[in-house]
Amino acid sequence: MSFRNYKDKIDEGDTVILYLSNNLYAIDVRPEIKSKKGDLVENVFQTPFGALKVRNLIGTEYGSKVELSKGWGHVLQPTPELWSLTLPHRTQIIYTPDISMILLQLDLVPGSVVIEAGTGSGSLTHALIRRVRPHGHVFTFDFHEHRANVARKEFEEHGLSDFVTAQHRDVLEEGFGENLKGKADAVFLDLPSPWIGVPHVLDALKAKGGRFCSFSPCIEQVQRTCLALERQGFQELTTMEVLQSELKVTRRTVPVRDLSFLKHKSSESPVEEKPSSETSYVVGAWPTSTPGHTGYLTVATLPPVFARKKTQETEQNNQCADIDPSGNGSAMAVEETG
Amino acid sequence: MPMANDLIKIGDYIVIQKQNYRKLHKLNKPNSTIMLGRDSINLTGIACCPYYSIFKMISSGNKKNKEYNLELTDIAVNLKDEIDVKISGNDNRNIVDDGRSQKLTASEIENLKVDAYRASDIVETLITNSSTFHNKTEYSQDKYLKKKEKKYFEYIQILRPNLRIIAEIMYKLDANKIQGIRVDTLSQVISFANVYSEGVHLLYDSGSNGLMAAALLSAIGSGTSGKLVHMHPGNMSQKQALLAMNFEGEHLNRCISVNVYSVLRQFHQGCDTNNTSSEVIENSLKRKNDEVIDHKVKIPRLENDVISEIVPNVDCDSSEQTQPEPKKPKWHFDNIAASELIRDKVDSLVITCKEDPQNIFKELMEFVKPGRPFVIYYPVAEPLQQLYLTLRSYSNVAALRLINNWMRNYQVLPERTHPEVMMNGSSGFLLTGYILK
Repeated sequence: MSFRNYKDKIDEGDTVILYLSNNLYAIDVRPEIKSKKGDLVENVFQTPFGALKVRNLIGTEYGSKVELSKGWGHVLQPTPELWSLTLPHRTQIIYTPDISMILLQLDLVPGSVVIEAGTGSGSLTHALIRRVRPHGHVFTFDFHEHRANVARKEFEEHGLSDFVTAQHRDVLEEGFGENLKGKADAVFLDLPSPWIGVPHVLDALKAKGGRFCSFSPCIEQVQRTCLALERQGFQELTTMEVLQSELKVTRRTVPVRDLSFLKHKSSESPVEEKPSSETSYVVGAWPTSTPGHTGYLTVATLPPVFARKKTQETEQNNQCADIDPSGNGSAMAVEETG
Repeated sequence: MPMANDLIKIGDYIVIQKQNYRKLHKLNKPNSTIMLGRDSINLTGIACCPYYSIFKMISSGNKKNKEYNLELTDIAVNLKDEIDVKISGNDNRNIVDDGRSQKLTASEIENLKVDAYRASDIVETLITNSSTFHNKTEYSQDKYLKKKEKKYFEYIQILRPNLRIIAEIMYKLDANKIQGIRVDTLSQVISFANVYSEGVHLLYDSGSNGLMAAALLSAIGSGTSGKLVHMHPGNMSQKQALLAMNFEGEHLNRCISVNVYSVLRQFHQGCDTNNTSSEVIENSLKRKNDEVIDHKVKIPRLENDVISEIVPNVDCDSSEQTQPEPKKPKWHFDNIAASELIRDKVDSLVITCKEDPQNIFKELMEFVKPGRPFVIYYPVAEPLQQLYLTLRSYSNVAALRLINNWMRNYQVLPERTHPEVMMNGSSGFLLTGYILK
C-alpha cells in the first residue's frame, strides 16, 4: 500500500525500493512467501551484497539503512519514477522524461479525468494516478486481457483502486464506451494505429474540449495521426521528441604541458620534454552511449464544441490511411512551432 | 452551457493567441488595449465570452494606425480555404528571381493593404499580379500562402492560461527571466520531486518569476491537502507566473511565500526579525512597503514598531505589553506557519536559484524527511557538478543524478515531415536525489 500516501515507516504489504549503490530493486514486504512446493517459507531477498531478511524491514523507517550479509543498502518509498525503473516489464514502457512531458502537455491537475490506452506495464498509469488524485480518475484500457487483469490486480495491491479503472477492451475497435462519452479532460494513446482511435477520442472528450497526446515510435504513425486530428477539428498540433542524458561527474586531473620555454635558449640544464605539472577540473562527462530515440509525442487541443471547425461532420473517413501526397485540400496538417 | 469559470472575467489573466504568437495579459478593465506586434487591439467585448472564442480584428478608422476593435466570430478562416489555387508547376527550373515577378509596385501594395476589406483579397490580388506564382510547385505555393497568412492573419483567439502555455510564453519572451527553465525540464522537476495533492513541499526560488511555484502548486491542485512553502530572498516573492494561473483563493493560500532570512530566523531563533535595533527599523521599513502593496494590512507606525510588540507570542524579549497591541502583519504569521511546517519536515525540496546552490541546499536539506526526493535546477552544469561532488561524500544523500534534456519539435506535413529548422539547445540541468536518515 506504499504507493497510496506518504509514509514514514514500512508496513507489511508495502512495496519498498531497495537502493544498493546505483542499483534499484522493488521488494514486496511479506515475511513469508510460497516456495515452489507450495509451502510458506521465510522471505529472503538475494542481492549482490548478500541476503536480506524481508521480515526485518517491517517497522523500519523509510530512508534508513538496512544491513545485508555483505554490506548495506537503503530503503525508499516507491514513487512513480522509482517504480518505472523497477517494475516487472510486461511490455515496453514509457520512462520519466516522456511521462513528465505527457503529464504537462495533457494539462493534467488533481481532479482531471484522463483516459489511457494501452495500459501496458502500468508505468505511465502510476504517474497519471498521482497527478489526478484525489478527486480525478484514470480510465486505462488494454486489448490484452491478461495484461489488463494483471494491471487491475496491481493497482488494487498498490491501494490505488479508488483512482483508476483498468479494463480489457480494444478501444480502436470499440471506442471507450458509452459511459465515457463526453467525460474526459484528456486522452493518451500508445497504440500501433492511434489515428484509428482519433474519432473515439473526439467522443470521449468533454464538450468544453480537452487535450490529446499520442506516443508513437515511428514518424509514419505521427503523419497519419496528425491528418486524423486535423480532420476531426483538433488545433495546436505539435510533435516533439524528448531525450535525457545523465552526466558522469568526476574530478579529473589533467597533465599540463609547458611549451613556452622553447622560445628562448635555456642556460639551465635541459628541461625535460614531458608534462611538467597537473591541474584539476570538476567535469561532467557525456555518456558515450545514450538513448537516441524513444518515441514522438504528438499533442493537440480539442476546442469546446462552439469553437470547433464545422468541416469535421462532412468527413467521416475514420480510416484515413491514405496520405494525400499532393498536400492539397483539407488533408493538411498544420505547422506549429514549439 | 459553459460554466461560469469557462467565461472570460475581468481580473483574469488571459492569453491572446494570434497564429503561433501568444501573449499573456491581465484583463484589468473591460476596454483595455494591448499591443500585439505592431497592432494595437482594443479588447472591448471579450469579457463574458467563453474561453476559446475567436475574434476578428476590425480596423478602427485609419488602417495605417494599425488600431483594431474585435468582433466575435465563429471561425477563423484560413487563407488557403478562401483562395483556390488551380494551377501549379512541377519544379522551379523556370523560376528566375529577377525582382520583376510581382507587377504591383510597393506603393500599390500599400494602398491595397489600406483599402482591402479581407486579407484574402490582398493575397488574391498579389497572386493575380504575380507572373511566377502559378509556376510554383504546390508545396511552394502552400508555403507562400502560409507566409502571407502570417502577415495578414486577422483573427485572435482568447485562451485560458495554464502551466503549459505560461511556461511556453515566458520561455519564448525571455528565457533568461525564468532562468532558462524549458518546459521539458520543468515537467521533470514536478516528477522527480514527487509533488502531488498531498504533503508539504519546500521550494526555494530566486529567479523563475514564479514559474516554479506555479508548476508545483498546479500539481498540488485545488481542494486538496497539499501545501507549498515558497522561500525567496528579498522583500517580495516573484509571482508573475503564479498569479497568471488564476488559482482560486483556497488554492493560492496553500502556497506560503516567505522571506528565507525571516523564516529561518523564526525557525532557529524563535523570532523573525533581527534583534539589533537598527536592523529592526530597516527591516520593518522594507516590510511596511511590502505589506501596504501586497496585503493591505495596517502596519503600526514606525516608532511603535519594535520587535517586542510585533511578536509577543514568540520567545523574544517582551517589555511593553501594556500598550494596546498593534495589528500584526500577515508576513509575520506566514513566517510562523512556514517554520512550523518545516519543523514537521517536508516531503520534497526543490531549489531554483541564481546563487550558488551549495549553501542553500545544505541549510534546507535538514528539513526534508528521510526517504524523500530533492531536485535542484541550475541553467549551467558547473555549480551542480561541484555540489554533486560535495554531496557524494554525504552519507545521508543517495541516488544522485545530474541530468540534461534534449528536445526537438517536428514539422509534420504530408511528404514534408522533418525536424523544425530551429531548435532550442538549452534545457538547463537538474541534480536529483533522495535524502536518507
